[in-house]
Amino acid sequence: MLEVVELSKTYFGAAEPVHAVRGATFSARRGEFLAIVGPSGSGKTTLLAMIGGLLTPTSGSIVVDGEAIDRFDARRLAAYRRSRVGFVFQANNLLPFLTARENLLVMADIGGVDRRTARERADRLLEELGLTHRAAALATELSGGERQRVAIARALMNDPALILVDEPTAALDSTRGRQVVESLKAEIKSRNKLGIMVTHDLAMAALCDRVLEMHDGELRELSPTASME
Amino acid sequence: MLGLIELRRRRLQFFLIGLIVTLISYLVAMINGLGLGLNVLAGSALKSFDADAIAYSDASGLSVIRSELSAETIARVLAAPGVEEGAPLGYVAANVRTAAGEIENAAFLGFDPGTIGEPRVIEGRPLRPGELDGMLADREFLRFTGYRLGDVVPVSLRLQTREYRIVGVIDEGYFFFQPAVYILRDAWRSLRYGDAANAPEASIVLLKGKGLPGLRGDGFEVVDKETAFANIEGVAGQQSTVAALQAFGYLIGTLVVGVFFYVLTLQKVPHIGVLKALGASSSYVFRQLLVQVLVIASAALAVAIPLAMVTGRLIQRLPDPVPIAFDGRTLAFTTALLLVASVVGAAFSLRRILTVDPVIALGQQQ
Repeated sequence: MLEVVELSKTYFGAAEPVHAVRGATFSARRGEFLAIVGPSGSGKTTLLAMIGGLLTPTSGSIVVDGEAIDRFDARRLAAYRRSRVGFVFQANNLLPFLTARENLLVMADIGGVDRRTARERADRLLEELGLTHRAAALATELSGGERQRVAIARALMNDPALILVDEPTAALDSTRGRQVVESLKAEIKSRNKLGIMVTHDLAMAALCDRVLEMHDGELRELSPTASME
Repeated sequence: MLGLIELRRRRLQFFLIGLIVTLISYLVAMINGLGLGLNVLAGSALKSFDADAIAYSDASGLSVIRSELSAETIARVLAAPGVEEGAPLGYVAANVRTAAGEIENAAFLGFDPGTIGEPRVIEGRPLRPGELDGMLADREFLRFTGYRLGDVVPVSLRLQTREYRIVGVIDEGYFFFQPAVYILRDAWRSLRYGDAANAPEASIVLLKGKGLPGLRGDGFEVVDKETAFANIEGVAGQQSTVAALQAFGYLIGTLVVGVFFYVLTLQKVPHIGVLKALGASSSYVFRQLLVQVLVIASAALAVAIPLAMVTGRLIQRLPDPVPIAFDGRTLAFTTALLLVASVVGAAFSLRRILTVDPVIALGQQQ
Protein backbone atom coordinates (compact mmCIF):
# COMPACT_ATOMS: atom_id res chain seq x y z
CA MET A 1 0.00 0.00 0.00
CA LEU A 2 2.81 2.43 0.90
CA GLU A 3 6.25 2.48 -0.68
CA VAL A 4 8.80 5.04 0.35
CA VAL A 5 11.91 4.97 -1.84
CA GLU A 6 15.13 6.91 -1.24
CA LEU A 7 13.17 9.78 0.27
CA SER A 8 15.13 12.89 1.23
CA LYS A 9 14.30 16.30 2.53
CA THR A 10 16.80 19.13 2.70
CA TYR A 11 16.06 22.60 4.05
CA PHE A 12 18.03 25.34 2.35
CA GLY A 13 16.91 28.30 4.44
CA ALA A 14 19.82 28.24 6.89
CA ALA A 15 23.45 29.12 6.17
CA GLU A 16 24.19 25.41 5.83
CA PRO A 17 21.64 23.07 4.20
CA VAL A 18 19.86 20.88 6.76
CA HIS A 19 19.39 17.28 5.65
CA ALA A 20 16.32 16.37 7.70
CA VAL A 21 15.66 13.03 5.97
CA ARG A 22 18.33 11.13 4.00
CA GLY A 23 17.31 8.40 1.58
CA ALA A 24 14.58 6.81 3.70
CA THR A 25 13.24 3.59 2.20
CA PHE A 26 10.54 1.30 3.56
CA SER A 27 7.20 -0.19 2.62
CA ALA A 28 4.08 -1.08 4.58
CA ARG A 29 0.71 -2.65 3.94
CA ARG A 30 -2.84 -2.25 5.19
CA GLY A 31 -3.52 -3.62 8.64
CA GLU A 32 -0.03 -2.73 9.87
CA PHE A 33 0.72 -0.33 12.68
CA LEU A 34 4.23 1.12 12.44
CA ALA A 35 6.15 3.20 14.91
CA ILE A 36 8.91 5.60 13.93
CA VAL A 37 11.11 6.39 16.89
CA GLY A 38 14.09 8.64 17.34
CA PRO A 39 15.37 11.60 19.27
CA SER A 40 14.12 15.13 18.72
CA GLY A 41 15.35 16.60 15.44
CA SER A 42 16.04 13.19 13.93
CA GLY A 43 13.65 13.87 11.07
CA LYS A 44 10.79 11.56 12.02
CA THR A 45 8.08 14.22 11.92
CA THR A 46 9.43 15.51 8.62
CA LEU A 47 9.16 11.98 7.20
CA LEU A 48 5.57 11.75 8.51
CA ALA A 49 4.73 15.17 7.00
CA MET A 50 6.02 14.05 3.59
CA ILE A 51 4.00 10.82 3.69
CA GLY A 52 0.96 12.89 4.70
CA GLY A 53 1.41 15.34 1.83
CA LEU A 54 2.21 18.29 4.09
CA LEU A 55 5.77 18.63 2.86
CA THR A 56 7.24 18.06 -0.57
CA PRO A 57 10.31 15.80 -0.68
CA THR A 58 13.58 17.09 -2.11
CA SER A 59 14.12 13.72 -3.82
CA GLY A 60 12.82 10.17 -3.75
CA SER A 61 9.27 8.95 -4.08
CA ILE A 62 6.22 8.12 -2.00
CA VAL A 63 3.79 5.73 -3.64
CA VAL A 64 0.39 5.21 -2.02
CA ASP A 65 -1.84 2.57 -3.59
CA GLY A 66 0.16 2.84 -6.82
CA GLU A 67 0.12 6.67 -7.03
CA ALA A 68 3.27 8.74 -6.61
CA ILE A 69 2.03 11.50 -4.32
CA ASP A 70 5.37 13.32 -4.44
CA ARG A 71 4.33 14.47 -7.92
CA PHE A 72 1.00 15.90 -6.79
CA ASP A 73 0.38 19.64 -6.99
CA ALA A 74 -1.04 21.53 -3.96
CA ARG A 75 -4.62 20.92 -5.02
CA ARG A 76 -4.21 17.16 -5.43
CA LEU A 77 -2.27 17.01 -2.18
CA ALA A 78 -5.20 18.68 -0.37
CA ALA A 79 -7.57 16.12 -1.93
CA TYR A 80 -5.18 13.34 -0.90
CA ARG A 81 -5.10 14.59 2.69
CA ARG A 82 -8.86 14.89 3.03
CA SER A 83 -9.78 11.56 1.47
CA ARG A 84 -6.89 9.19 2.02
CA VAL A 85 -5.09 10.42 5.12
CA GLY A 86 -6.20 10.77 8.71
CA PHE A 87 -3.97 12.87 10.95
CA VAL A 88 -3.65 12.73 14.72
CA PHE A 89 -1.47 15.65 15.77
CA GLN A 90 0.75 15.96 18.81
CA ALA A 91 -1.32 18.88 20.14
CA ASN A 92 -4.51 17.18 18.86
CA ASN A 93 -5.36 20.48 17.11
CA LEU A 94 -9.07 20.24 17.72
CA LEU A 95 -10.87 23.46 16.90
CA PRO A 96 -11.50 24.87 20.38
CA PHE A 97 -14.81 26.56 19.63
CA LEU A 98 -16.37 23.33 18.40
CA THR A 99 -17.77 20.43 20.40
CA ALA A 100 -16.25 16.96 20.13
CA ARG A 101 -18.98 15.93 17.70
CA GLU A 102 -18.66 19.11 15.60
CA ASN A 103 -14.90 18.56 15.28
CA LEU A 104 -15.76 15.26 13.59
CA LEU A 105 -18.49 16.80 11.45
CA VAL A 106 -16.10 19.49 10.15
CA MET A 107 -13.83 16.75 8.85
CA ALA A 108 -16.79 15.26 7.01
CA ASP A 109 -17.77 18.71 5.73
CA ILE A 110 -14.26 19.18 4.32
CA GLY A 111 -14.48 15.72 2.75
CA GLY A 112 -17.84 16.50 1.14
CA VAL A 113 -19.66 13.74 3.05
CA ASP A 114 -23.42 14.31 3.20
CA ARG A 115 -24.73 15.50 6.55
CA ARG A 116 -26.81 12.48 7.43
CA THR A 117 -23.98 10.03 6.75
CA ALA A 118 -21.59 12.34 8.62
CA ARG A 119 -23.81 12.47 11.70
CA GLU A 120 -24.23 8.68 11.76
CA ARG A 121 -20.50 8.14 11.28
CA ALA A 122 -19.55 10.68 13.97
CA ASP A 123 -21.94 9.17 16.52
CA ARG A 124 -20.64 5.66 15.78
CA LEU A 125 -17.00 6.71 16.15
CA LEU A 126 -17.67 8.60 19.37
CA GLU A 127 -19.41 5.51 20.74
CA GLU A 128 -16.56 3.21 19.71
CA LEU A 129 -14.06 5.46 21.43
CA GLY A 130 -16.19 5.79 24.56
CA LEU A 131 -16.94 9.46 24.03
CA THR A 132 -20.70 9.51 23.50
CA HIS A 133 -21.26 11.22 26.86
CA ARG A 134 -18.75 13.95 25.86
CA ALA A 135 -20.09 14.54 22.35
CA ALA A 136 -21.58 17.93 23.19
CA ALA A 137 -18.60 19.14 25.23
CA LEU A 138 -16.43 21.86 23.74
CA ALA A 139 -12.91 20.78 22.85
CA THR A 140 -11.60 23.04 25.60
CA GLU A 141 -13.74 21.20 28.17
CA LEU A 142 -12.27 17.78 27.35
CA SER A 143 -9.41 16.14 29.21
CA GLY A 144 -6.11 15.49 27.39
CA GLY A 145 -6.96 11.83 26.84
CA GLU A 146 -10.46 12.65 25.63
CA ARG A 147 -9.08 15.22 23.22
CA GLN A 148 -6.68 12.68 21.71
CA ARG A 149 -9.46 10.14 21.33
CA VAL A 150 -11.60 12.76 19.59
CA ALA A 151 -8.60 13.47 17.35
CA ILE A 152 -8.42 9.74 16.54
CA ALA A 153 -12.14 9.70 15.74
CA ARG A 154 -11.66 12.76 13.53
CA ALA A 155 -8.81 11.03 11.70
CA LEU A 156 -11.14 8.12 10.93
CA MET A 157 -14.14 10.25 9.88
CA ASN A 158 -13.54 10.16 6.13
CA ASP A 159 -12.51 6.50 6.22
CA PRO A 160 -8.93 7.10 5.02
CA ALA A 161 -6.54 4.28 4.20
CA LEU A 162 -3.61 5.86 6.01
CA ILE A 163 -3.60 7.06 9.64
CA LEU A 164 -0.61 9.26 10.52
CA VAL A 165 -0.02 9.98 14.17
CA ASP A 166 2.49 12.47 15.58
CA GLU A 167 3.48 12.00 19.23
CA PRO A 168 -0.07 11.30 20.41
CA THR A 169 0.93 10.68 24.02
CA ALA A 170 3.30 13.62 24.50
CA ALA A 171 0.88 15.47 26.77
CA LEU A 172 -0.51 12.41 28.56
CA ASP A 173 0.62 10.31 31.50
CA SER A 174 1.76 6.79 30.69
CA THR A 175 -1.54 5.09 31.59
CA ARG A 176 -3.67 7.43 29.52
CA GLY A 177 -1.05 7.40 26.77
CA ARG A 178 -1.20 3.65 26.58
CA GLN A 179 -5.03 3.72 26.47
CA VAL A 180 -4.96 6.17 23.59
CA VAL A 181 -2.44 4.11 21.58
CA GLU A 182 -4.35 0.92 22.25
CA SER A 183 -7.58 2.57 21.07
CA LEU A 184 -5.76 3.72 17.98
CA LYS A 185 -4.31 0.30 17.29
CA ALA A 186 -7.71 -1.35 17.74
CA GLU A 187 -9.29 1.04 15.24
CA ILE A 188 -6.46 0.53 12.73
CA LYS A 189 -6.69 -3.24 12.98
CA SER A 190 -10.46 -3.47 12.92
CA ARG A 191 -10.73 -1.16 9.90
CA ASN A 192 -7.71 -2.60 8.08
CA LYS A 193 -5.89 0.75 7.85
CA LEU A 194 -2.18 1.44 7.68
CA GLY A 195 -1.11 3.33 10.80
CA ILE A 196 2.20 5.13 11.21
CA MET A 197 2.97 6.68 14.58
CA VAL A 198 5.89 8.96 15.33
CA THR A 199 6.95 8.76 18.97
CA HIS A 200 9.96 9.12 21.18
CA ASP A 201 8.34 6.81 23.73
CA LEU A 202 9.70 3.30 23.24
CA ALA A 203 7.00 1.80 25.47
CA MET A 204 4.34 3.13 23.11
CA ALA A 205 6.34 2.04 20.09
CA ALA A 206 6.40 -1.46 21.52
CA LEU A 207 2.61 -1.63 21.04
CA CYS A 208 3.13 -1.41 17.26
CA ASP A 209 3.76 -4.22 14.77
CA ARG A 210 7.03 -2.76 13.48
CA VAL A 211 9.40 -0.10 14.70
CA LEU A 212 11.56 2.07 12.45
CA GLU A 213 14.24 4.26 13.94
CA MET A 214 15.32 7.64 12.62
CA HIS A 215 18.73 8.98 13.49
CA ASP A 216 20.20 12.10 11.89
CA GLY A 217 17.71 11.72 9.06
CA GLU A 218 18.54 8.10 8.34
CA LEU A 219 15.95 5.36 8.76
CA ARG A 220 16.48 1.76 9.83
CA GLU A 221 14.18 -1.02 10.99
CA LEU A 222 14.36 -2.22 14.61
CA SER A 223 11.63 -4.81 14.77
CA PRO A 224 10.52 -7.26 15.93
CA THR A 225 8.89 -5.10 18.57
CA ALA A 226 8.69 -7.97 21.01
CA SER A 227 12.40 -7.54 21.66
CA MET A 228 11.78 -4.02 22.94
CA GLU A 229 9.33 -5.01 25.64
CA MET B 1 -21.13 25.18 8.59
CA LEU B 2 -17.87 25.99 10.37
CA GLY B 3 -18.12 29.76 9.82
CA LEU B 4 -21.62 30.00 11.26
CA ILE B 5 -20.82 27.82 14.28
CA GLU B 6 -17.77 29.97 15.05
CA LEU B 7 -19.95 33.08 14.85
CA ARG B 8 -22.28 31.55 17.42
CA ARG B 9 -19.56 30.35 19.75
CA ARG B 10 -17.36 33.45 19.70
CA ARG B 11 -20.19 35.87 20.19
CA LEU B 12 -18.28 38.51 22.09
CA GLN B 13 -15.42 38.69 19.58
CA PHE B 14 -17.77 38.89 16.61
CA PHE B 15 -20.11 41.27 18.43
CA LEU B 16 -17.22 43.69 18.97
CA ILE B 17 -16.15 43.45 15.33
CA GLY B 18 -19.79 43.91 14.32
CA LEU B 19 -20.03 46.94 16.59
CA ILE B 20 -17.06 48.60 14.90
CA VAL B 21 -18.47 47.84 11.44
CA THR B 22 -21.85 49.19 12.61
CA LEU B 23 -20.31 52.44 13.84
CA ILE B 24 -18.31 52.92 10.66
CA SER B 25 -21.39 52.20 8.53
CA TYR B 26 -23.39 54.61 10.68
CA LEU B 27 -20.74 57.30 10.25
CA VAL B 28 -20.65 56.85 6.48
CA ALA B 29 -24.46 56.93 6.29
CA MET B 30 -24.59 60.08 8.44
CA ILE B 31 -21.98 61.86 6.31
CA ASN B 32 -24.03 60.99 3.24
CA GLY B 33 -27.18 62.16 4.96
CA LEU B 34 -25.57 65.48 5.88
CA GLY B 35 -24.29 65.94 2.33
CA LEU B 36 -27.70 65.22 0.90
CA GLY B 37 -29.27 67.48 3.51
CA LEU B 38 -27.06 70.36 2.40
CA ASN B 39 -28.07 69.74 -1.21
CA VAL B 40 -31.73 69.79 -0.21
CA LEU B 41 -31.17 73.04 1.61
CA ALA B 42 -29.36 74.49 -1.38
CA GLY B 43 -32.12 73.94 -3.84
CA SER B 44 -34.51 71.02 -3.61
CA ALA B 45 -37.19 73.31 -5.07
CA LEU B 46 -35.03 73.84 -8.15
CA LYS B 47 -34.50 70.12 -8.52
CA SER B 48 -38.21 69.44 -8.25
CA PHE B 49 -39.16 71.93 -10.98
CA ASP B 50 -41.27 70.20 -13.62
CA ALA B 51 -38.77 71.20 -16.31
CA ASP B 52 -36.10 69.75 -18.58
CA ALA B 53 -34.05 72.94 -18.71
CA ILE B 54 -33.88 76.49 -17.40
CA ALA B 55 -33.24 79.69 -19.35
CA TYR B 56 -31.25 82.55 -17.78
CA SER B 57 -30.40 85.99 -19.10
CA ASP B 58 -27.09 85.68 -20.92
CA ALA B 59 -25.48 88.38 -18.77
CA SER B 60 -26.32 86.70 -15.48
CA GLY B 61 -23.56 84.11 -15.41
CA LEU B 62 -26.27 81.54 -14.56
CA SER B 63 -27.08 83.38 -11.34
CA VAL B 64 -30.79 83.40 -10.62
CA ILE B 65 -30.21 86.48 -8.46
CA ARG B 66 -28.74 88.47 -11.36
CA SER B 67 -30.87 86.97 -14.10
CA GLU B 68 -33.58 89.35 -15.36
CA LEU B 69 -35.66 88.62 -18.44
CA SER B 70 -37.79 91.06 -20.38
CA ALA B 71 -41.06 90.09 -22.06
CA GLU B 72 -39.29 90.11 -25.44
CA THR B 73 -36.52 87.82 -24.25
CA ILE B 74 -39.07 85.46 -22.72
CA ALA B 75 -40.92 85.37 -26.04
CA ARG B 76 -37.66 84.52 -27.85
CA VAL B 77 -36.93 81.77 -25.32
CA LEU B 78 -40.37 80.24 -25.79
CA ALA B 79 -39.99 80.41 -29.56
CA ALA B 80 -36.56 78.75 -29.53
CA PRO B 81 -36.20 75.42 -31.40
CA GLY B 82 -37.04 72.36 -29.31
CA VAL B 83 -39.09 74.26 -26.73
CA GLU B 84 -42.42 72.50 -26.21
CA GLU B 85 -43.59 74.30 -23.11
CA GLY B 86 -42.30 77.09 -20.89
CA ALA B 87 -43.11 79.11 -17.82
CA PRO B 88 -41.44 82.33 -16.67
CA LEU B 89 -40.55 82.34 -13.00
CA GLY B 90 -39.47 85.18 -10.76
CA TYR B 91 -37.20 84.95 -7.73
CA VAL B 92 -36.50 87.29 -4.87
CA ALA B 93 -35.32 86.81 -1.30
CA ALA B 94 -37.41 88.75 1.19
CA ASN B 95 -37.64 89.15 4.94
CA VAL B 96 -40.46 87.44 6.74
CA ARG B 97 -41.57 88.27 10.26
CA THR B 98 -42.17 84.89 11.90
CA ALA B 99 -45.05 84.09 14.21
CA ALA B 100 -42.60 84.58 17.07
CA GLY B 101 -41.71 88.04 15.79
CA GLU B 102 -38.26 87.19 14.45
CA ILE B 103 -37.01 88.14 11.00
CA GLU B 104 -36.09 85.29 8.68
CA ASN B 105 -35.36 84.98 4.97
CA ALA B 106 -37.56 83.17 2.50
CA ALA B 107 -37.30 82.57 -1.26
CA PHE B 108 -40.28 84.11 -3.05
CA LEU B 109 -40.96 82.53 -6.43
CA GLY B 110 -43.42 84.16 -8.80
CA PHE B 111 -45.32 81.83 -11.14
CA ASP B 112 -48.29 81.81 -13.48
CA PRO B 113 -51.17 79.46 -12.55
CA GLY B 114 -51.72 76.63 -15.01
CA THR B 115 -48.11 76.54 -16.21
CA ILE B 116 -45.30 74.10 -15.46
CA GLY B 117 -44.06 76.64 -12.89
CA GLU B 118 -47.03 75.99 -10.62
CA PRO B 119 -46.18 73.84 -7.58
CA ARG B 120 -48.38 70.96 -6.43
CA VAL B 121 -50.55 71.91 -3.47
CA ILE B 122 -50.72 69.23 -0.76
CA GLU B 123 -53.03 71.09 1.61
CA GLY B 124 -55.39 74.02 1.14
CA ARG B 125 -55.95 75.22 -2.44
CA PRO B 126 -53.96 76.58 -5.39
CA LEU B 127 -53.62 80.31 -6.00
CA ARG B 128 -56.27 81.79 -8.26
CA PRO B 129 -55.40 84.20 -11.11
CA GLY B 130 -55.36 87.72 -9.74
CA GLU B 131 -55.00 86.63 -6.13
CA LEU B 132 -52.08 88.97 -5.51
CA ASP B 133 -52.20 88.73 -1.71
CA GLY B 134 -52.14 84.94 -1.55
CA MET B 135 -49.18 82.64 -1.12
CA LEU B 136 -48.39 78.95 -1.26
CA ALA B 137 -46.02 78.16 1.59
CA ASP B 138 -43.70 75.21 1.76
CA ARG B 139 -43.98 72.88 4.75
CA GLU B 140 -40.46 73.86 5.74
CA PHE B 141 -41.50 77.53 5.65
CA LEU B 142 -44.38 76.78 8.02
CA ARG B 143 -42.13 74.81 10.35
CA PHE B 144 -39.52 77.53 10.20
CA THR B 145 -41.83 80.46 10.82
CA GLY B 146 -44.51 78.88 12.97
CA TYR B 147 -47.34 79.96 10.63
CA ARG B 148 -50.23 77.77 9.59
CA LEU B 149 -52.58 77.55 6.66
CA GLY B 150 -54.81 80.62 6.63
CA ASP B 151 -52.37 82.86 8.54
CA VAL B 152 -51.28 86.24 7.20
CA VAL B 153 -47.53 86.66 6.77
CA PRO B 154 -45.83 90.09 6.86
CA VAL B 155 -43.10 90.30 4.20
CA SER B 156 -40.59 93.16 4.00
CA LEU B 157 -38.48 94.25 1.06
CA ARG B 158 -37.13 97.62 -0.04
CA LEU B 159 -38.47 99.33 3.12
CA GLN B 160 -42.00 98.21 2.34
CA THR B 161 -44.06 95.60 4.13
CA ARG B 162 -46.73 93.58 2.37
CA GLU B 163 -49.00 90.89 3.71
CA TYR B 164 -49.83 87.56 2.12
CA ARG B 165 -52.34 84.99 3.28
CA ILE B 166 -51.28 81.34 3.18
CA VAL B 167 -53.93 79.64 1.02
CA GLY B 168 -52.08 76.42 0.27
CA VAL B 169 -49.23 74.26 1.48
CA ILE B 170 -46.66 72.81 -0.89
CA ASP B 171 -43.77 70.38 -0.55
CA GLU B 172 -41.07 71.83 -2.78
CA GLY B 173 -38.38 72.30 -0.15
CA TYR B 174 -35.68 74.94 -0.24
CA PHE B 175 -34.43 77.40 -2.80
CA PHE B 176 -31.09 79.10 -2.24
CA PHE B 177 -30.84 77.75 1.31
CA GLN B 178 -34.21 79.38 2.16
CA PRO B 179 -37.65 77.82 2.45
CA ALA B 180 -39.65 78.38 -0.74
CA VAL B 181 -42.82 80.45 -1.00
CA TYR B 182 -44.82 80.75 -4.21
CA ILE B 183 -46.80 83.86 -5.13
CA LEU B 184 -48.28 84.99 -8.43
CA ARG B 185 -45.76 86.43 -10.90
CA ASP B 186 -47.52 89.80 -10.89
CA ALA B 187 -47.27 89.87 -7.08
CA TRP B 188 -43.58 88.92 -7.36
CA ARG B 189 -42.94 91.80 -9.81
CA SER B 190 -44.60 94.20 -7.42
CA LEU B 191 -42.69 92.78 -4.44
CA ARG B 192 -39.32 92.90 -6.14
CA TYR B 193 -39.55 96.00 -8.35
CA GLY B 194 -42.41 98.03 -6.86
CA ASP B 195 -44.06 100.23 -9.44
CA ALA B 196 -40.95 100.66 -11.59
CA ALA B 197 -41.60 101.06 -15.27
CA ASN B 198 -40.06 98.47 -17.60
CA ALA B 199 -39.46 96.05 -14.74
CA PRO B 200 -38.28 92.59 -15.85
CA GLU B 201 -40.98 90.00 -16.35
CA ALA B 202 -39.14 87.06 -14.79
CA SER B 203 -35.82 85.83 -13.47
CA ILE B 204 -35.73 82.56 -15.35
CA VAL B 205 -37.88 80.48 -17.69
CA LEU B 206 -38.63 76.82 -16.94
CA LEU B 207 -38.61 74.84 -20.18
CA LYS B 208 -39.77 71.47 -21.42
CA GLY B 209 -38.54 70.03 -24.69
CA LYS B 210 -35.76 68.11 -26.32
CA GLY B 211 -32.12 69.10 -26.77
CA LEU B 212 -32.55 72.36 -24.86
CA PRO B 213 -29.44 72.47 -22.60
CA GLY B 214 -26.71 74.44 -24.32
CA LEU B 215 -29.16 76.49 -26.35
CA ARG B 216 -28.20 80.16 -26.66
CA GLY B 217 -30.15 83.00 -28.16
CA ASP B 218 -30.45 86.74 -28.15
CA GLY B 219 -30.27 87.66 -24.44
CA PHE B 220 -30.58 84.18 -22.97
CA GLU B 221 -28.86 80.86 -22.43
CA VAL B 222 -30.35 77.50 -21.48
CA VAL B 223 -28.88 74.89 -19.15
CA ASP B 224 -30.12 71.66 -17.58
CA LYS B 225 -31.28 71.52 -13.95
CA GLU B 226 -28.05 69.95 -12.72
CA THR B 227 -26.00 72.81 -14.16
CA ALA B 228 -28.46 75.33 -12.75
CA PHE B 229 -28.19 73.67 -9.34
CA ALA B 230 -24.40 73.62 -9.44
CA ASN B 231 -24.45 77.38 -10.25
CA ILE B 232 -26.45 78.34 -7.19
CA GLU B 233 -24.18 80.69 -5.25
CA GLY B 234 -22.18 78.71 -2.70
CA VAL B 235 -23.29 75.34 -4.01
CA ALA B 236 -20.13 74.58 -6.01
CA GLY B 237 -17.92 75.00 -2.94
CA GLN B 238 -20.38 73.13 -0.78
CA GLN B 239 -20.68 70.31 -3.31
CA SER B 240 -16.93 69.79 -3.45
CA THR B 241 -16.71 69.82 0.36
CA VAL B 242 -19.56 67.31 0.63
CA ALA B 243 -18.08 65.16 -2.13
CA ALA B 244 -14.71 65.16 -0.33
CA LEU B 245 -16.43 64.21 2.95
CA GLN B 246 -18.29 61.40 1.23
CA ALA B 247 -15.17 60.17 -0.53
CA PHE B 248 -13.19 60.16 2.74
CA GLY B 249 -16.09 58.50 4.51
CA TYR B 250 -16.26 55.73 1.92
CA LEU B 251 -12.49 55.36 1.81
CA ILE B 252 -12.04 55.20 5.58
CA GLY B 253 -15.10 52.98 5.92
CA THR B 254 -13.76 50.61 3.28
CA LEU B 255 -10.30 50.51 4.82
CA VAL B 256 -11.47 50.01 8.40
CA VAL B 257 -13.95 47.31 7.47
CA GLY B 258 -11.40 45.64 5.21
CA VAL B 259 -8.64 45.80 7.81
CA PHE B 260 -10.89 44.37 10.50
CA PHE B 261 -11.70 41.33 8.44
CA TYR B 262 -8.05 40.95 7.53
CA VAL B 263 -7.10 41.01 11.23
CA LEU B 264 -9.83 38.46 11.84
CA THR B 265 -8.12 36.20 9.30
CA LEU B 266 -4.69 36.71 10.87
CA GLN B 267 -6.09 35.56 14.21
CA LYS B 268 -7.29 32.37 12.56
CA VAL B 269 -4.02 31.39 10.91
CA PRO B 270 -3.33 28.45 13.31
CA HIS B 271 -6.83 27.07 12.73
CA ILE B 272 -6.52 27.61 9.00
CA GLY B 273 -3.29 25.61 9.10
CA VAL B 274 -5.09 22.75 10.84
CA LEU B 275 -7.99 22.84 8.39
CA LYS B 276 -5.59 22.79 5.44
CA ALA B 277 -3.63 19.95 7.00
CA LEU B 278 -6.89 18.03 7.27
CA GLY B 279 -7.35 18.55 3.54
CA ALA B 280 -9.53 21.66 3.41
CA SER B 281 -8.99 23.61 0.22
CA SER B 282 -8.26 27.34 0.37
CA SER B 283 -11.66 27.96 -1.21
CA TYR B 284 -13.34 26.00 1.60
CA VAL B 285 -11.54 28.12 4.21
CA PHE B 286 -12.34 31.33 2.32
CA ARG B 287 -16.02 30.39 2.06
CA GLN B 288 -16.21 30.03 5.85
CA LEU B 289 -14.65 33.47 6.27
CA LEU B 290 -16.88 34.98 3.61
CA VAL B 291 -20.00 33.68 5.36
CA GLN B 292 -18.85 35.34 8.58
CA VAL B 293 -18.00 38.59 6.82
CA LEU B 294 -21.35 38.75 5.05
CA VAL B 295 -23.30 37.93 8.21
CA ILE B 296 -21.42 40.56 10.25
CA ALA B 297 -21.57 43.22 7.54
CA SER B 298 -25.26 42.58 6.83
CA ALA B 299 -26.15 42.70 10.51
CA ALA B 300 -24.09 45.87 10.98
CA LEU B 301 -25.76 47.57 8.02
CA ALA B 302 -29.19 46.39 9.14
CA VAL B 303 -28.57 48.28 12.38
CA ALA B 304 -26.53 51.24 11.11
CA ILE B 305 -28.75 52.40 8.23
CA PRO B 306 -32.06 52.52 10.16
CA LEU B 307 -30.17 54.05 13.09
CA ALA B 308 -28.85 56.82 10.84
CA MET B 309 -32.37 57.43 9.51
CA VAL B 310 -33.79 57.58 13.04
CA THR B 311 -31.00 59.97 14.04
CA GLY B 312 -31.84 62.11 11.02
CA ARG B 313 -35.49 62.28 12.06
CA LEU B 314 -34.57 63.15 15.62
CA ILE B 315 -32.26 65.90 14.39
CA GLN B 316 -35.10 67.28 12.29
CA ARG B 317 -37.17 67.66 15.44
CA LEU B 318 -34.57 69.88 17.09
CA PRO B 319 -35.51 73.57 17.33
CA ASP B 320 -32.58 74.48 15.09
CA PRO B 321 -32.10 71.35 12.99
CA VAL B 322 -28.97 70.41 11.09
CA PRO B 323 -29.78 69.75 7.42
CA ILE B 324 -29.84 66.00 6.93
CA ALA B 325 -31.66 63.90 4.42
CA PHE B 326 -31.66 60.34 3.16
CA ASP B 327 -32.81 58.92 -0.10
CA GLY B 328 -33.16 55.33 -1.20
CA ARG B 329 -30.51 55.61 -3.90
CA THR B 330 -27.81 56.96 -1.58
CA LEU B 331 -28.64 54.46 1.14
CA ALA B 332 -28.64 51.58 -1.35
CA PHE B 333 -25.30 52.79 -2.68
CA THR B 334 -23.83 53.11 0.83
CA THR B 335 -25.10 49.65 1.77
CA ALA B 336 -23.76 48.08 -1.41
CA LEU B 337 -20.41 49.84 -1.07
CA LEU B 338 -19.87 48.75 2.53
CA LEU B 339 -20.86 45.20 1.67
CA VAL B 340 -18.39 45.25 -1.20
CA ALA B 341 -15.77 46.76 1.15
CA SER B 342 -16.31 43.87 3.55
CA VAL B 343 -15.92 41.33 0.78
CA VAL B 344 -12.84 43.17 -0.53
CA GLY B 345 -11.41 43.10 3.01
CA ALA B 346 -12.09 39.38 3.09
CA ALA B 347 -10.51 39.06 -0.36
CA PHE B 348 -7.31 40.63 1.01
CA SER B 349 -7.42 37.79 3.50
CA LEU B 350 -7.63 35.27 0.69
CA ARG B 351 -4.01 35.97 -0.15
CA ARG B 352 -3.08 35.23 3.47
CA ILE B 353 -5.22 32.09 3.48
CA LEU B 354 -3.49 30.86 0.33
CA THR B 355 -0.09 31.32 1.93
CA VAL B 356 -0.86 29.48 5.18
CA ASP B 357 1.31 26.37 5.16
CA PRO B 358 -0.61 23.35 6.47
CA VAL B 359 2.59 21.98 7.97
CA ILE B 360 2.16 24.45 10.87
CA ALA B 361 -0.46 22.02 12.15
CA LEU B 362 2.40 19.73 13.09
CA GLY B 363 3.82 22.44 15.28
CA GLN B 364 6.91 22.74 13.15
CA GLN B 365 7.78 25.49 10.73
CA GLN B 366 11.16 24.67 9.39
